[in-house]
Amino acid sequence: MSELANIQKWLTSIIVKPGSINDKIIMADQHYGLRHTEVIKPAPNFSSGEKIGIYARGYVLRLMECMSAEYPALQHLLGKELFETFVKAYLVHSPPSSPDLYNLGANFAAFLKASQPKNADSNMFDLPVEVTLLERAIAEVSRCKGLEGTSQETETDDTVLYLFNTSTIRSSPCLMLLKLQFPLAGFVRSVQRGEEATTPLTGESFTAISRKDYIIHMHDMETWQWQFLKALQDTNDYMSAINSTADVCGMANSTVMADLMLWIPVALKFGYIYRDDNQVN
Amino acid sequence: MNTPDSKRLGLPNLGLGVGLRSKHFVHLMQNDPVVDWFEIISENYMNNFGYARHVLAHVAGLRPIVMHGVSMSIGSTDSLNLDYLRQLKELADEVKPVWISDHLCWTGVAHLNTHDLLPLPLTLESLHHVAERVNRVQDILQRPLILENPSTYMEFEASSLHEWEFMTELVAKTGCGLLLDVNNVFVSGHNHNFDPEFYIRNIPHKAVVQIHIAGPTDCDQYYLDTHDQPVPTPVWHLYRLAQELTGGVSTLLEWDANIPEYPDLVAEVNKAREVLLGNFPDVPVYRTRLADQVSNPVDHQMQTTHE
Ligand SMILES: [Fe+2]
Repeated sequence: MSELANIQKWLTSIIVKPGSINDKIIMADQHYGLRHTEVIKPAPNFSSGEKIGIYARGYVLRLMECMSAEYPALQHLLGKELFETFVKAYLVHSPPSSPDLYNLGANFAAFLKASQPKNADSNMFDLPVEVTLLERAIAEVSRCKGLEGTSQETETDDTVLYLFNTSTIRSSPCLMLLKLQFPLAGFVRSVQRGEEATTPLTGESFTAISRKDYIIHMHDMETWQWQFLKALQDTNDYMSAINSTADVCGMANSTVMADLMLWIPVALKFGYIYRDDNQVN
Repeated sequence: MNTPDSKRLGLPNLGLGVGLRSKHFVHLMQNDPVVDWFEIISENYMNNFGYARHVLAHVAGLRPIVMHGVSMSIGSTDSLNLDYLRQLKELADEVKPVWISDHLCWTGVAHLNTHDLLPLPLTLESLHHVAERVNRVQDILQRPLILENPSTYMEFEASSLHEWEFMTELVAKTGCGLLLDVNNVFVSGHNHNFDPEFYIRNIPHKAVVQIHIAGPTDCDQYYLDTHDQPVPTPVWHLYRLAQELTGGVSTLLEWDANIPEYPDLVAEVNKAREVLLGNFPDVPVYRTRLADQVSNPVDHQMQTTHE
């Protein structure tokens, strides 16, 4: 291995590993056959180790700020200290590998889930996991390829047309559906807006997140509405989505149809669905 | 060797610009950009098809754009990330930037990305390694790569070249351009006890395509490149020197944390005009003893929602 490669492995390992800076340097020195005092120039009042420490500390602080930006509601829920403890553990578990900072938080919910106590008899441990899932979904929806700027972008003023032609109704490419154990949409929205956010009580909730005209929409919705969007996403077919919703929710097809007539304009407005006008029937 | 013989590699002087940051998106969609040009962080737009991309398209219709990257990791001993370069090129094909820049640094090895700009030992080994990679990147991007001097907090005992010598050799070997960050020269000069003016006098001025200005933080034992303060007087002096020696190149104000409102940002970069007339703002280097200062802040890239 070249000298340059060895030094880079040595420094990377010091930066990304957990522990005190001195312990990390000693371990890396041993592992890579280097002596940090011979690698990094000391200054009279500033040792080699202290200089390396600037990089090691900066690494955690910098990524912590990114995770805080992506997961404000989780941080609000856990408090700063506990949030930072989890993020630090996560960074050790999954140090960033992508040039895209946005990938940094991708596995955070799964990490929190795996770190839950095994025999927890309450679902309260699922609350932070689910807040994380929802905030990640918001981040994904905000960046995905949407319908803005395409011909499929539905104008809100002609939504009455759905009454005559439902076969072109599709789920939005941005739509994400989450089935959660807590109603979280209002909680997360309050934190985002800097309003008072009370910790939600347990209660099954069906959440949809989507984007229209670059604005994120997110709602806890009725079960049949969520099931309909899910079925539409799966089948891409309005009539089979109605049948499937009726089946799953134990409703009559005609009831689902009638309820949809009232709800479809809302779903179009929030970008959960759109009319695919390019569709050839 | 293909030493550039024309000023700024034939690239234009775009005037005074600022970084395009999410804090100002709504303002920029509704108001005149005022500044001459914008620099974007390339990685922030590569897989982003949301509002940020929409704002970028809007702004690119009004002003020239330069793409500034933080993850090329040109100095890494990992193999070049061809996937990253492909995405960078795709973005460039769409944005049509006036040039593409990144940093003389590495960000990690073994496929890790620390999202920091880590310094290289300034050796002949590093020089050959980086030069070979710059040449390959320039072949892929089909344009000169513009490389920026980073702020550094440590030096390697093995280094046999000064950074200005390394930059000079690199330009000679590759024909790459330089993004001279005068604030970084100031920060590194303070941290490693060299004369920043000497540095600026001894780089190949014809290869300088762009200048960065920014405000650092004095953390007592060292200066940190925090991009969160007004530009201090000594950095303005280095700026004027650099503009005299280069004959005038595109200027960009970096402000990445504690970001001011847009009119205040514009007012800060406009101070450059007064500086060139010899009127220097009286701004000390910001001092703090707090240990939570962050160099190269990147969280401004994380904007997720917009209402
Ligand atoms: Fe810079």
